[in-house]
Amino acid sequence: MDEASVIVKAEAAAAASRGIDPSLFAFADFDREAGERIGYSNYSYWRSTLRVFFRSRLSVLLLVSLGLLLLFTFVQPLIPGQKSPTVIYNDPATGTQYRNVAPGAQFWFGTNSIGQDLWSRIWSGTRTSLLIGFLVGIVEMLVGILYGALWGYVRRLDRPLTEVYNVLNNIPTTIILMLLAYILKPSFRTMVIAMCATGWIGLARFIRNQIVIIRDREYNLASRCLGTSTGRIIGKNLLPYLVSVIMLQTALSIPGTIGWEVFLTYIGLGLPVSIPSLGNLVNEGRRIMMSPELRYQLIFPTLVLSFITISLYVLGNAFSDASDPRNHV
Amino acid sequence: MSQGSTREKLLEVKALRVDFKVKGGYFTAVKGVSFDVYKGETFGLVGESGSGKTTIGRAIVRINDASAGEILFKGRKINGKISKELDREVVQKIQMIFQDPMASLNERAKVDYIVSEGLYSIGRARDEAGRLEAVQKALLDVGLLPEFASRFPHEFSGGQRQRIGIARSLIMRPELVVADEPISALDVSIRAQVLNLLSELQRERGLTYLFIAHDLSVVRFITDRIAVIHLGEIVELALTEELFAHPLHPYTKALLSAIPVPDPIAERRKCIQVYDPACHDYATEGPSWREVSSGHFVLANSAEEKGYRAELGL
Amino acid sequence: MSAGDCPAALASRAILSVRDLVVKFNLRGRVLTAIRGASLELAEGETLAIVGESGSGKSVFTKSFIGMEDQNGWIDSGSIGFEGEDLAKFRREEDWLRIRGRKISMVFQDPMTALNPLRSVGRQIAEVIELHQGLPPGMAERSAIELLARVGIPDPETRHRQYPHEFSGGMRQRVVIAIAMACKPRILICDEPTTALDVTIQAQILGLIKALQKDFGFTTVYITHDLGVVANVADRVAVMYAGKIVECGTAEEVFYDPRHPYTWALLSSLPQLGIKGRPLYSISGTPPNLFNEVVGDAFAPRNPQALKIDFVHEPPAFEVSPTHWAATWLLDPRSPPVEPPAAIKAMRAKYERSLS
Repeated sequence: MDEASVIVKAEAAAAASRGIDPSLFAFADFDREAGERIGYSNYSYWRSTLRVFFRSRLSVLLLVSLGLLLLFTFVQPLIPGQKSPTVIYNDPATGTQYRNVAPGAQFWFGTNSIGQDLWSRIWSGTRTSLLIGFLVGIVEMLVGILYGALWGYVRRLDRPLTEVYNVLNNIPTTIILMLLAYILKPSFRTMVIAMCATGWIGLARFIRNQIVIIRDREYNLASRCLGTSTGRIIGKNLLPYLVSVIMLQTALSIPGTIGWEVFLTYIGLGLPVSIPSLGNLVNEGRRIMMSPELRYQLIFPTLVLSFITISLYVLGNAFSDASDPRNHV
Repeated sequence: MSQGSTREKLLEVKALRVDFKVKGGYFTAVKGVSFDVYKGETFGLVGESGSGKTTIGRAIVRINDASAGEILFKGRKINGKISKELDREVVQKIQMIFQDPMASLNERAKVDYIVSEGLYSIGRARDEAGRLEAVQKALLDVGLLPEFASRFPHEFSGGQRQRIGIARSLIMRPELVVADEPISALDVSIRAQVLNLLSELQRERGLTYLFIAHDLSVVRFITDRIAVIHLGEIVELALTEELFAHPLHPYTKALLSAIPVPDPIAERRKCIQVYDPACHDYATEGPSWREVSSGHFVLANSAEEKGYRAELGL
Repeated sequence: MSAGDCPAALASRAILSVRDLVVKFNLRGRVLTAIRGASLELAEGETLAIVGESGSGKSVFTKSFIGMEDQNGWIDSGSIGFEGEDLAKFRREEDWLRIRGRKISMVFQDPMTALNPLRSVGRQIAEVIELHQGLPPGMAERSAIELLARVGIPDPETRHRQYPHEFSGGMRQRVVIAIAMACKPRILICDEPTTALDVTIQAQILGLIKALQKDFGFTTVYITHDLGVVANVADRVAVMYAGKIVECGTAEEVFYDPRHPYTWALLSSLPQLGIKGRPLYSISGTPPNLFNEVVGDAFAPRNPQALKIDFVHEPPAFEVSPTHWAATWLLDPRSPPVEPPAAIKAMRAKYERSLS
């Protein structure tokens, strides 16, 4: 028995109670609601997500830089005195093209082998590639979520949707992309359609697996008891739980798409040369990679490409971590 | 029960069997269970984990499909294929309260949505003002503050969350509530709140409860009749006090003997009986469902029935 | 130990003594005081039950004895005396490794958290024996099998080769107990050991722990919210609320003569003590938010008969008997008389009848 501590406590009790106003030894008013109010933490999911996200300085820095980069690709052509990305410039003195001019005061990033301004080409190309990336990313997300959610939640659809998935998944993406690129003429639209046609498959499967994990949790059974429709259960009960993983997958799919664009251009099925894109630029630069003095033509587009890829990767992960409620501690 | 024939049967479960697909075949969780629930009563379904009690509850609210047998609500069959109108009616009239308040609320929705979720499916949510009013009233009915509507579930304690779960069922104005271990995941000091709330609501609205639990002491306090279920079969069914006074089936006896009592002296004296299924001699005659005394049913063969009658002094 | 033991003799046998322990956590950038100055003395060989609701801090309190607070928690002040050392001063993991598992073992609610799903149970026990008793593998395996037999696993010769998933919940808990026994601890802390189990299995596990305590002579601390379990196992009971022990006494004293309004409320809200058809005594509201500083008696906002002083000053521990104290102003002579709820009086009357 802890009688030692009790003696101490008894003394303390006597000491503590000596100076107390005796009128306090009377019943207090009882407020039943006060007991209910205890324990309010004022938590909000999205606020906590943003707070955790913005706590990381690197994420904020990358987000701001990426935003500025995107903004600049649109602003750049409007700045006075900028050169056109597609015009071939001639040297007024000799009348010949400015071929492979090294970076300098006139051409900030130099020119390419036919005399086009690399600086404006890079911004125009970045704009095209990011546009493709975001467009395809959004379409992939929408199709992937819709397909994956129905696949995972509606048991009747499991078999047919699995079969469709198996067929599509067993044909290598490269072959599908090449076929589509052959059938349709190389253009911006072809590119987007081709990549949308294949990109959603992985996301759909991923979402299906996640939904299978959470679909039989008690709160979903409760919704079924209340007669809630399938669409509402998917929209209100299932997808909100997957925000963090969906955001990560989408963020990763954008640099992935840009990568595919570079690849397709590399194998000659990408955008027409007339439209600058990061793929086209990297491809041009690659051809002359062997001459050291012309390497700037590869280095500049690669730097932009790397920056976009890495920052989207880091941001996707940071946002995914931030939107996981377990990290809202 | 003796006056049973005169009382309205709200729910009839007839030879209900539920199978689950498992690797390499089927697992029968519920093996032909039959019982009736009368209007206005609290019917207890008591068993240990794996007894199939939750599966029965879920079959009634149609989360699990019945493999065989019938479930009748107000005399109409509600399992299998049913009409749209009947489906809507059953959704509204039969509601469920879940065991774990931590798992049974959608964490990403506000209390406002959670409580009124059911109204959307029965077309009572179209009028936004009416919906908000119904939510406020439902929250007040379960002793919560109306201002809680704009908060997320994780801000609430287990007891408050369970009351949110009750509010979401009540807003549907159900007649039968399947309560699946509604208090076993709650703290001791909160259990009384929820039990009192359930009794109060029953008195005010004439609700009928199917109360599923593993804890006989809680069930004794709240139920009128109890069915004891063991491995998918009901082994004994009687009025609550009759069951506690004269348990017949050895499994019921074992279960009763193991109840923890908050009384040190009684606890130290208590003698636990262990149920051994081998104690039944079913080699020559298998067990069947028999009424040993009025309203007191046991799963037994004729030799056992004779023994049970002798025990009751009949 | 029983109520009749001489307190002076008991004090000399104290095995663990906790003084004014304060444990804090950092959560979402805010500091939560989970344990607000709790003191406890554990006598050698006794069984003490710490009763409380979730959030009362009962688990945090006992985890601090083995240095198992979560990452974001720390002992802010106070001491934990054990074998002449102050465990509250331990900072390095090496220090804790001398105590945790070896001297003080813990059995958790969910046996799977303590078992490695990828190793056979026999191997898991044998490893502990090799590590702690320094036996060669062959002999360790033999004693693992013996231990499994001792904790009531049928056919241990074959079952020791099986993996945790091949055991039922009750059997797994027996395996966890066997692992805890392998180190021959001086103190066994059982954190809700039977909450996840069926009542019939629960009774068996409690019986097993009692029998092992007789054989091995360790001291047991139960953490539970189930007063039925407490009544079954405890020699002494400590009632915890909002990070403080509010009442402590022998099982008889706490069950038949409780003094703190929280203990009253806890006991009389049990359905077992209720009268059918009448509302149960119920505690309104929820426990306090420990992010905020608690002023006065933490239970006051939920206590319909709270005194004004409960909202101003924290009640000290008042002695009821040499083995029984409660921290409530109701025990101050200046307080108005307050009758305990009917269920408490009924328990008391029943007890007195049983004595006479």
